[in-house]
Amino acid sequence: MLYIEDIEYFDLVVIVNGCEVCRRVPTHQRLLDFLRDDLRLTGTKEVCGEGECGACTVILNGETVNSCLILAVEAHGSEIMTIEGLSHGQNLTDLQQAFIEKHSVQCGYCIPGMVLSAEQLEHEQAQPDREIIKQGLAGNICRCTGYHKIIDAVEQKGDR
Amino acid sequence: MSKYQSQIGRSLPRVDAADKVAGRTRYLTDIYLDRMVYAYPIYSTISFGTIVAIDPAPAAAVPGFITTLLALDIPGENQVGVIIDDQPLLAAETVRFKGDVIGVAVAETESAAHRAAQLVQVQYVEEQPYLSIDVSKTAQSKYIHSSNIACTHRVDRGDISQGFAAADRIIEADLVTPYQEHYYLEPQGCIVVPETDGRYTVYGSIQCIYYVQKAVARALGIPFSKVTVIQTPIGGAFGGKEDVPSELCARSALAARVVGRPVKMVYRRHDDAQLTSKRHPFQMHYKIGVTNDGRLLVAEINLVENAGAYATLSSVVSYRAAMQAMGPYVIPNIKVLSTAYYTNLPPAGAFRGFGSPQATFGHERVMDHIADQLGIDPVELRLKNVLRPGDMTLTGHQLKASVGIEATIKQAADAADWVNRRRKNTSNGRYRFGIGIAASHYGNCLGAAGWAMDGAAAKIQIRRDGSVTLAYGLSEMGQGANTVITQMAAEVLGIAPERIIVLDPSTDLVPDSGPGVASRNVVMTGNAIRNAASQIVPVLKSAAAEMLETDPDRIELRNDSAEDTDSGNAVNFNDLANHLFISNRPMDSLGWWHVPALKYDPETGVGEAYFTYSYSTHIALVKVDSLTGLVQVEKIWAAHDIGRAINPAGLEGQVEGGVAQGIGWALTEHFQTKNGSVITPNLSTYLVPTTADVSQVQTILVEDPEPLGPWGAKGIGEPAVIPTAAAIANAVSQAVGAPMDSLPMTPEIVLNALD
Ligand code: FES
Ligand code: FES
Repeated sequence: MLYIEDIEYFDLVVIVNGCEVCRRVPTHQRLLDFLRDDLRLTGTKEVCGEGECGACTVILNGETVNSCLILAVEAHGSEIMTIEGLSHGQNLTDLQQAFIEKHSVQCGYCIPGMVLSAEQLEHEQAQPDREIIKQGLAGNICRCTGYHKIIDAVEQKGDR
Repeated sequence: MSKYQSQIGRSLPRVDAADKVAGRTRYLTDIYLDRMVYAYPIYSTISFGTIVAIDPAPAAAVPGFITTLLALDIPGENQVGVIIDDQPLLAAETVRFKGDVIGVAVAETESAAHRAAQLVQVQYVEEQPYLSIDVSKTAQSKYIHSSNIACTHRVDRGDISQGFAAADRIIEADLVTPYQEHYYLEPQGCIVVPETDGRYTVYGSIQCIYYVQKAVARALGIPFSKVTVIQTPIGGAFGGKEDVPSELCARSALAARVVGRPVKMVYRRHDDAQLTSKRHPFQMHYKIGVTNDGRLLVAEINLVENAGAYATLSSVVSYRAAMQAMGPYVIPNIKVLSTAYYTNLPPAGAFRGFGSPQATFGHERVMDHIADQLGIDPVELRLKNVLRPGDMTLTGHQLKASVGIEATIKQAADAADWVNRRRKNTSNGRYRFGIGIAASHYGNCLGAAGWAMDGAAAKIQIRRDGSVTLAYGLSEMGQGANTVITQMAAEVLGIAPERIIVLDPSTDLVPDSGPGVASRNVVMTGNAIRNAASQIVPVLKSAAAEMLETDPDRIELRNDSAEDTDSGNAVNFNDLANHLFISNRPMDSLGWWHVPALKYDPETGVGEAYFTYSYSTHIALVKVDSLTGLVQVEKIWAAHDIGRAINPAGLEGQVEGGVAQGIGWALTEHFQTKNGSVITPNLSTYLVPTTADVSQVQTILVEDPEPLGPWGAKGIGEPAVIPTAAAIANAVSQAVGAPMDSLPMTPEIVLNALD
C-alpha cells in the first residue's frame, strides 16, 4: 500500500458477499487492501499489484475487476463478490468441483482469481470452447500448471 | 474376501484442492496476529563499494516507526551463507549488489516500515562493479570476495587427447543461457513470534525449514532447540524459497527479539525481483569428437556460470551441471570444467533443474550440431549413443536398472510422428515449421556432493478413533507432495486416504530431513514411510490377530480393515486403532531413509554422482512467423521415465507446468539488468507465459521401476522443465535454417537468424 502522510477518510458502504458493510476507510486505500486487511477476506490475493496477473480478481456489480487497481471508495454503493462469497462455507460450485476433479490446482495462489474469472466467463457464455476459455483466462497468470488442467475444468463444466 | 484396491498409480484428487478453490488456504500473507509489527529491508542502492556512514534518523519521522536494526544489533553470527560462508546477514562494510541488505526497518504498519526503510541514509565509497562474467574474469585486484571465483567442479575421465586423435570429426559450439526469474506468485514472506523461555516460532513460505532453523539460531546466538520453524502453505517456490527465506526469517527474528512482538516481513514484488536469487546464466563451450557414423568418442566441455554477488547454491548448481554436462549418452573420454564467477548482480541460486536445463541446452544443441554436420537424423544419433542398462554415465557410474531413456526417446518420437514431420517441407509462405528433440538425465536427490544431508523422515501417528496424522520433513510447495504421501501411507496401512491428515511441516515434528529440494520428496519421504510402516504394521497385525484370535502372519491390512486371509474375518480400522490403545501398544512410528553410500571421487568427478536418474525426452513442434519473428510452440511431446507413477494426473500436472516454464525460458522471459538494477521486475516487462503462450502437451509416462525407489518411483519435479527449452531451440533451428545457440529466442533474435 502507498505510504501517505496526510490521510483523509471516507465512510464507505458496500455489499460484500451479500452483507452490507459500513467502514471508515482512507481515501487512498485500494479495494484489495480493504477486503484483505479490513475485512480479512484473504482469499483475494495480491501478486503484481499492477493489474497484470488477475490474482486479485473480484466481481464488482457483476463484472470481474482487478481489485488492486480500484480504490475502495470507488466501490461505494456497489455489490462485491469475493471467492469467499462464491462457495459460502462448504458448498462448492460445479466449477470449483471441476477444478478438484481435473487436478487443476497446484500451489493454489492463482486459483481464487482463476475461479472467479472462469465463473464469469461461464456466466457470459454457456459452453465456451478451449479458444474462448484461453482468451477469457489470458489475464490470469498461473506459474505452476501451464493452464491445461484449468482449461480442462472450465471446458468440462461447460459440457455438463 | 473383497478385492484390494491399490492407492499406488491412482489419480487421487489433491488433498488440498478443496480449500484452495474455496480461497480458504491460509498462506503466510493471509496471517494477521495480535500486536504484530512489520519489518522491511534497508538495502544497498549501489552495486559494489564500502559503507562509510548510515544515518537512520530520517526514518524516525515516519508515523508508526519503531526502530531500525543494523549489523551491530546481531547478537549471534553475522552470516547467512547456506553452503559457503560468504554472505553477511546484514552488510556492515562491503556491499556487493543493488539489493544487498544492510538493515531492517520496523514499524506499526507495512507501508510505514517500507517508507522508513527507504528514508535511511547510507553513504558509500563506490568501486567499479563487475557486471558480467567476462568482466569478473579479468579482475586483478579488488575482488568481490577473496577471489572472483565462487567454486569449480570437474569431471576427468578417460583420455581426451587420445579421444580427439581417434575422432573422425571434431565439432565445437558456444552456447549461452540467460537468467530466469522464478516469479512464484506468492512473494517471499515470514512471521517471527517471540515466545516464552527465549524461544521463537517462525512461520513462512519456506522450502527448507531446517535451513531456516539454523539461520535464525545462528543469528540470534541461541540453540536450535529454541527455534521452531513451521511451513505455511507455499504459493509457488521452484527453488526460489530454498535459501532466501533464511535471510528474511533471520532478519525478522532480530526485530522480534528487540521489539518483543510478532514481526511480519513480506517482500514487495519489485524488491523480490531485485533482492532474491534467479536461475544462473551460463556460457558454455563444447568440443566433441565423433566417428563418421555418429558415435561419441570424446568431449571437452567448459561451463561458466554467473553466480551473482553471493555463492548461495552455486556450488550445487555447478556440480550438477558438470555431472550431467554431456547428457544421457555413453562417452568414454570426457573432461568437464564448471566454474561459477561472482559478479555484482543479484545472486543466482536454486531454480527448478539446478543447472540441468542449462547443461541440457548445451549437450542437446551440440547433438543437433553433430547430427547436422554428419547428416544423421537427430533421433537416430541419440539412439546410437544413449545409455542402456550396463552402460556407464559420463562420470563412470555403471547403471544397473531403471534406465528408461531409450524408451522415452522412442515413445516420444513415435507419438510425434517424428520421421514424417522432420522430413516434411518446413516452409509454408509466411510461416516456417520445425520439430526438435532434447533428451536428458537428472540425478535424483542431492548426489555425492550433498550425501551427508540426504536423509529424510516421516512419522505416522494413529489416533484412537482410527484417524491418522502424517508428518514429514520435506515440503508441499504446490507440486502435490501431500497427496502423494497420503497415497503412500494409505497403501502401507491399507486404509482409505480420507483417514489421513498431513500436518504442516514443522521442525518440532520430525528430525532434520535436509532441504525440500532436488525432486527428493517422492523418493525420500516414500521410503521413509515404508520404513515407518515396517515398524508399525507388525504392531497393527499383532493387535488384529489378537482381536480375531488368529496368527499375525495371516493378517493383511487392506480395504480399511485388517483381514484374516484364511477365514475372511476382519476388524475395522477404527476398532483396530482403539485396540492398539487399550492393549498398550505403540501408536506411532518414525521412519527414516538415507540415500545409500555413493562411490565417488571428488578430485576427478568420477563415480556414482547420484544414486539413480530420472530420464526425459521432449519433442517440440514450432511455428515461426517469418514476418514478426514470433515463435509459437504448437505441441510438446513429453516422455518421462519416472520409475513408477504414484499419481498419474498429478505427474501430468507437473510435466505441463514444467513445460510452460521451459517455454517461458526459451521464448518470452527476458530478464534484464542495467547497471546492476533489474529492469524487468514486473509482468509487463518480464513475460511469464499466459494461456496464449502455452502449447499443447502430451505427457508420456515410461515406468521403468527403480529398485531403490518406493514402489519403483523416481523424482519428476525438475525433470519436467529440463529438456523443454533445448527441444524448442532445436525445432526453431530447423525452422529458420540457422543454429539458435542462445536463449531467449525473442522475435528480434529470431528475425536476425532468418536474415
Ligand atoms: S495483483 Fe491485481 S492484477 Fe495482479
Ligand atoms: S497453481 Fe500455483 S500459480 Fe497457479
